[in-house]
Amino acid sequence: MSSENITKEEVAAIFPKVAEIMADALGCEVAEVKPDASLIKDLGAESIDFLDIVFRLERGFKVKIPRGKIVEDARGSLSEADFEKGGVVTDAGVARLKDFLSEVPPDRFPSPLKVAEIPKLFTVETFCKMVIRQQRAAPPA
Amino acid sequence: MDGHFRAFSFVDRITSVLPGVKIGGIYQIPAGISEFPQSLAAEAVGQLAAWSAMAAFDFKRRPVAGIAAAVELLSPVRPGQTLELAADLESVESDAVAYGGTAHCEGRPVLRLVHCVGPMLPQEDFDDPQAVKTRFSLLCQSGAQAGGFAGVPPLPLEDTGAEAGQWRRATLHVPQTLAVFADHFARRPVLPGTLSMHKTLELADRLMKDVPAAGGWTARTISGSKVRAFTLPGESLEIEVRLARRDGDTAVVAVEARKGKRSVGASRITFQAEGNP
Repeated sequence: MSSENITKEEVAAIFPKVAEIMADALGCEVAEVKPDASLIKDLGAESIDFLDIVFRLERGFKVKIPRGKIVEDARGSLSEADFEKGGVVTDAGVARLKDFLSEVPPDRFPSPLKVAEIPKLFTVETFCKMVIRQQRAAPPA
Repeated sequence: MDGHFRAFSFVDRITSVLPGVKIGGIYQIPAGISEFPQSLAAEAVGQLAAWSAMAAFDFKRRPVAGIAAAVELLSPVRPGQTLELAADLESVESDAVAYGGTAHCEGRPVLRLVHCVGPMLPQEDFDDPQAVKTRFSLLCQSGAQAGGFAGVPPLPLEDTGAEAGQWRRATLHVPQTLAVFADHFARRPVLPGTLSMHKTLELADRLMKDVPAAGGWTARTISGSKVRAFTLPGESLEIEVRLARRDGDTAVVAVEARKGKRSVGASRITFQAEGNP
């Protein structure tokens, strides 16, 4: 259980719209977009697709999502030096990531984990949680 | 003559600019070329937006082709005409610019770009940042000499399969050398995405010729356009266009471009039966 208290109900409430947006962005069927699907491994997303998805989520949910937000949020209170060394996530960083990305099964975390590989962990639910965080930060007027 | 800032540059003068916010400019289509496809009007609007985005990052970053939610093809243009260009930037960050824009000709809308996103990459990988900055100053002051574009380069499509009125497939063989490579980009030649768009529209037009409609079909909108990878000199693209839906006077063609097994581009083109704008 993550320390940030995003409930399954909150995720379930926005998942259908997120799934529709992702299916549009990735050119796949909505049925393929499962909450635990890895964007890269299961849905074939590339870096341009991440940009596309973030912009579509911004428009769809009327929130602002600064790029790099997931990794920045994942680091939390850890300094960059405490989070990674030489491009590899530290033990403290991995612990923080496992808490923050609680939707990602632990066996999907490689060891060692390179910073560049973090996006490979992201699931559809990861993006649902990102939207919820941004909605909480700036609720619609 | 050196093709840098000439062979594939479609902004002659910047008439107003707020870096990272909005920009206006003009482009004189050379009179001596045989055609100026609407995809190049899209290129002109994109290049204009790029100048504003680059200025916001002191020319250390530059956008490249990425995503267009919609490209509305409103009316054709002819060689010799002048495009009035405008772009509004929705956001500019170090990794991406989001923008929309228009091209007008003699007060008539030619093309509209809606919700475009371009990844921002290091300028030095593509061009000399100082040369780009100097060019920007020239465009903002006296403007550049018009007429650098020598015309759409020959890019023959080799048919590889078809089912009349259902789908067509063709290979676009990109030559090792093209005049536009001197300008797109000076340090890293790649096939402009808008030239791929032009060839894709050509293939889709051929598909739609086999779909019955009294007055023929006209492409109106390209939506969900996405460029996933650069196409380099000497590479080949497999382009497939497939009639996805026909609903009375409207038809939608699904497009996919592949390099081998990898999908490198996709879009949908909406056609309207002629006589029903």
